[in-house]
Amino acid sequence: MSIEVLTLLFFGSLLFFLLLGLPLTFVLGGVSVVFLYFTWGFDSFYMVASQILGTMNSFTLVAIPLFVFMAMVLERTGVAKDLYRMMHLWFGGLRGGLAIGTLVICAVFAAMVGISGAAVVAMGTIALPSMLERGYDRKMALGVINTGGGWGILIPPSILMILYALITGVSVGQMFAAGVMPGVLLMVLTVVYILVRSTLQPHLAPALPPGERGTWPEKFRALRAVLLPIGVVLMVLGSIIGGITTPTEAAAMGVLGALISAAVYRQFKWSIMHEAAIRTFKLTGMIMWILFAAHAFSAAYQSMGAQDLIEGLMQLIPGGPWGIIIAMMVIVFFLAMVLDPVGIMLITLPVFMPIVKSLGFDPIWFGILFVINMEIGYKTPPFGFNLFYLKGVVPPGITMKDIYGSVIPFVVIEILAIAIIMVFPEIATWLPGLFF
Amino acid sequence: PVAAQDTVTWKVQAHWPAASSSYTDSLKRLKRVLDERTDGQLQLKLYEAGALFSAKETFNAVSRGILEMGVISPGYAQDKMSLAGIASGLPFAFRNVWEVAYFHKNLGFEQMLRDEAAEHGVYWSTDKVFTTEMVVKKPINSWEDFTSLKIRSSGALQKFLTDAGASASYIPGSELYSALDSGIVDGAHWGAVQGAASMSLYEVAKYHVKPALNIAGTDVFLINQKALNKLPEDMQKIVKDTLNEQFWIRTNEYQFKERKTLATIQAEQGVKITKLPEDVQAKLTEAAKETWEEEGKRSEKAQKALNMLKDYLADLGYL
Amino acid sequence: MNVLTAFITGVTRLNDFVGRWLALLVFVMFVLLIGEVGFRYLLNAPTSWTNELTQMLFGVYAVMSGGYILAHKGHVNVDLLHSHLSPRKRALMDIATSLLFFIFTLALLWFGIDMARESMASWETSYSAWNPPIWPVKLAIPVGTGLLVLQGLAKLLEDIAIAFNLDYYRPVSDTSEGEQS
Ligand code: NA
Ligand code: NA
Repeated sequence: MSIEVLTLLFFGSLLFFLLLGLPLTFVLGGVSVVFLYFTWGFDSFYMVASQILGTMNSFTLVAIPLFVFMAMVLERTGVAKDLYRMMHLWFGGLRGGLAIGTLVICAVFAAMVGISGAAVVAMGTIALPSMLERGYDRKMALGVINTGGGWGILIPPSILMILYALITGVSVGQMFAAGVMPGVLLMVLTVVYILVRSTLQPHLAPALPPGERGTWPEKFRALRAVLLPIGVVLMVLGSIIGGITTPTEAAAMGVLGALISAAVYRQFKWSIMHEAAIRTFKLTGMIMWILFAAHAFSAAYQSMGAQDLIEGLMQLIPGGPWGIIIAMMVIVFFLAMVLDPVGIMLITLPVFMPIVKSLGFDPIWFGILFVINMEIGYKTPPFGFNLFYLKGVVPPGITMKDIYGSVIPFVVIEILAIAIIMVFPEIATWLPGLFF
Repeated sequence: PVAAQDTVTWKVQAHWPAASSSYTDSLKRLKRVLDERTDGQLQLKLYEAGALFSAKETFNAVSRGILEMGVISPGYAQDKMSLAGIASGLPFAFRNVWEVAYFHKNLGFEQMLRDEAAEHGVYWSTDKVFTTEMVVKKPINSWEDFTSLKIRSSGALQKFLTDAGASASYIPGSELYSALDSGIVDGAHWGAVQGAASMSLYEVAKYHVKPALNIAGTDVFLINQKALNKLPEDMQKIVKDTLNEQFWIRTNEYQFKERKTLATIQAEQGVKITKLPEDVQAKLTEAAKETWEEEGKRSEKAQKALNMLKDYLADLGYL
Repeated sequence: MNVLTAFITGVTRLNDFVGRWLALLVFVMFVLLIGEVGFRYLLNAPTSWTNELTQMLFGVYAVMSGGYILAHKGHVNVDLLHSHLSPRKRALMDIATSLLFFIFTLALLWFGIDMARESMASWETSYSAWNPPIWPVKLAIPVGTGLLVLQGLAKLLEDIAIAFNLDYYRPVSDTSEGEQS
């Protein structure tokens, strides 16, 4: 069977079983096993077990339970709630103020984590209830968390950028530097979108009625609420930048900060800690089982000859250097709907990079486009991992349909950002050029 | 056996990323040469690091016949191969690459490895011999400089460096750059010059340390014995001869590329070479001898290989 | 009590028990990582074992969570169709798709056992500087998968009871903690 037909069947059956309501992890795992059986035989299932072992041994993923636990503690002890109360008092008069505040927290979180997943789950826990309580439209709130939660891989440190650098041979430092301005661009575009949208449709992100905006003394008293979160952030970022910890170990500093905050709030109680630990276990396990199956799925797809498919596709592309770059972006966009980012990189980059370089494009610039595209992939239906991570923390009553629907404008914004960076490559290349 | 006109395709899982020089120079070369010499009847289907199996699982996958072929470092086969420790390089034993080549091919160490791998249904063939060298953020001028270092290391070398007095810790490759940059560690080894350059380490650590921590046959081809036996006899011979030839070509070529890369990074990134002072080298060699003895205790074969190695080092005038 | 009922409750309790204890590992991982930072930064003496031990615990923590999460309906799915169906029809559909669940988990169980047995035959160690035994981590794969398979069986029995109105299982509203759907 040709790889084209296999691809259609492979992704078709994923979609089919997913729609029937089987959890994502079992769909990915089950379809991998069935296809491996028909293409490679029974013994190849060993690969599935082996991929799971490999995922268990990935040190960078250790940050997930720690960051999730940090968020759980900050939420359960009331620290997060007070932070949102403060934001509401100060920015409540501004339509969309809380959404913008959430995006700022997301950007700070992104500077602390190098992986996706942790930020989405953490922000879903902290920010979503606060926005919903204050009358925000659910799609607006979900979309903001989905998009901001994904910035972790664009704003350094970023495990995906390191992987890109390793696969393509470019400089890690340059990749990190190149990600900063596009990150700012994305943030500006998203904030502008929220301001415009909530001006046109005030019910989506309502302002606080003037009577509830609080007096100045109240506002200043509420400011105390930022001290602890800022302390936590300083502990994490400070220990990364100051050379005290690796990004993964920094997650433990975050937990330490959260525990200190709990003590300050006189909430350092076993009942709260135990409950936070159990919710952390459930969410981390949910993420990890998706990753287990996703890695097995990528390996199965590669064993069937995914790279041949990409090579074949590239030969069909007409239309000059820019046509080729855009075609690559489209291929990545579609792959990202169904595959995990690491798998996409392994499948496409070895085919793409020689072409990109021979066309005379800057691999760093291409890498930024690629990473933003991955970020889009994290939140495009049906398989965007962030969508599922978020589903794991939303209150009952919010369905996958809400989550799927929430991402559309934000995906459009990111596509716009890619287009802008294509037209003005300096946005990505200026900063690394300055340093290296 | 395979009929004369059939085409055989082997899946090959490497432990190299597709961008690494060895993926092209070793793996794609082997694919091309085998294709030529078998008139297209033996095809290799290449998979880069981690695509199907992790490096640690590749030996098992080849042994089970799920993969016909794999490329690993001996260190990843420790559980199956008691000789793997010696194969992945005893610290401060050899001083030149040719000495290791001679040890493998002329003194019979390669055959010993091949015999042990055969117990697991695997045909073992070393791709090349090369050095493992450190990069550090500040020069090492004294024993105190060395012992105050925090070094990112792994496996046997981590133990050796710790025992020798430095502080060696393991940090995964994905965090190595950040760790060196921010000063969590002051030094690291990732292959030698090309390896460190591929990880961008010279951007954040400007001193390249000589001499090598070890020199060894650190890249190895594995073939499932049954898959090999299924080939017609002449084709089996082509595979074995090509691999043997590859060892010499690649060992030599790699040395050239190391030297060339070193010249480039010295010129373009201002990297300097720092040579370990004589007394530091002497102390490290003393400490290394304990590590050697440990490896010998792994099995009778390992003891035999170690004795052979020590006799050889004595012949060379190093002991 | 019917034997099927007993099986369903027994498996769920087992996974609950395992989960409640394993959840505490997050504290251990935290202490180990913070400890390593302290050793390295304050005492300038990084250890050879904390990161590796953390890694091993994390692997066990992750792979053993499958059954507990299934028991608490924490494996996320797409509910586009699900949310429009009656409980009976939903149960019928889950019975059908459970085939794919069992194909995946049983394949994993089979080769997980294989992998663990091979590792235990040599009491495999990691050959790192610390060199701890790593067979327990490999053993966690079949054990964790086994717990997941058991919970999957329990869920299948529940779905059969709901779909065909059998009396060995009466659905009650999920009284577990947390608000996950
Ligand atoms: Na980040
Ligand atoms: Na996606």
